[in-house]
Amino acid sequence: MVTAYVMVKAHTGNANKLRDDIAAIDGVENVHIVAGDFDLIAKVSVGSPAEVKEVAASEIQNIQGVEDTQTYVAMD
Amino acid sequence: MQFVIVGAGRVGLRTARVLREADHEVVLVETDPTTAERVREDGFEVLEGDGSVEDVLLQADLESADALGALTGDLNNNFVACMVAKHYGCRTVLRIDEDYREEIYRKYASDVDEVVYPERLGAIVAKNALVGGNSRAVADIHQNLQMVEFTVTPRSPMRGYSISELELPANAELLAFGKKGEPVDVPRDDVSLEPGDELIVLADFDVLGDVRSIIVGDTGRAALGGA
Repeated sequence: MVTAYVMVKAHTGNANKLRDDIAAIDGVENVHIVAGDFDLIAKVSVGSPAEVKEVAASEIQNIQGVEDTQTYVAMD
Repeated sequence: MQFVIVGAGRVGLRTARVLREADHEVVLVETDPTTAERVREDGFEVLEGDGSVEDVLLQADLESADALGALTGDLNNNFVACMVAKHYGCRTVLRIDEDYREEIYRKYASDVDEVVYPERLGAIVAKNALVGGNSRAVADIHQNLQMVEFTVTPRSPMRGYSISELELPANAELLAFGKKGEPVDVPRDDVSLEPGDELIVLADFDVLGDVRSIIVGDTGRAALGGA
C-alpha cells in the first residue's frame, strides 16, 4: 500500500467543484481546501507507486480548473 | 483606532501611511531588517520579526488592536497572521496574490473578514488613465456595483438643472457632488449642475451606461472598471 499527498494549485475560484471532482477519483481517501500557496491537498492511498502517478498525473491534472500538482509519497 | 500591519512592503507601507494620515495608530511588522529600518526612519513604529508568529504579533500589541492587515506577498504568512489576530478578537484583512483566490478565501476562510487584491485596483487606475474622458471608475464595491465619478459636460441633458431634479435609475445613487475645481462634498439639493462639476455615483453595472448618458451626455462604453 502506498500513501501520497497531492498538493493541488487551482486557477478557478470554484473550489467546491474541484474538491468534489478530486474526491470522486478512485484511490483518493480525502481532500481538503487549504489556505496558502496550494489550494487543495488530497490524500491518496493506492496499491503501487505507479498508481500514485496515475491518480496525480493523469486524473487530478486533467480536471478542469487544476493548474498544477505536486506529489509527496509517504515513506513511513 | 489601532492597527497592526504585517508586511512593510509596497502595499503594507502605503496602507500604514494612509492610516497615519487619518490619525490612526499603526504598528508595522516586517521580517527584513533593511526594510524595517527604512520604515522606522520614516517615523513608523516597526517591529522586526515574523508576522505569522503569535509572540511577535503580541509584541506589536495585537491584544489592544482593532484590526490586523496581513499585507505581505506571502499568502501562507498572511493567513496565519489573520488566524492569530482573529483569536485575539481583531478584524482581519488578508492580501491575496491571485485573483481567483478571492472567491475561495471569502467562502472558506472564516478567520478572514476582508480579502484584498491590490492589482485589481491598480488595473482600474491604469484603465482610467488609458481611457480618460468624463467618467472615471473609483472602486469596485461589489461584483456588480461600481463607484464612478462623472463630469458634467456641455452636452449633458441635466446641465442647468438642480440636483433635486436629477433622476437616476433605480440601481444608482448619488453619493457626492463637487463644483468645478472644488472638492466633492455631500450633495445638496439646490445646487445646479454646470459643465466641469463632478458627481460620484454608486451604480449597478447594468445602469452605468444610463447614468453616464444622463450626467455626461454621451453614450458609449459603460462599465469602466470590471478589472
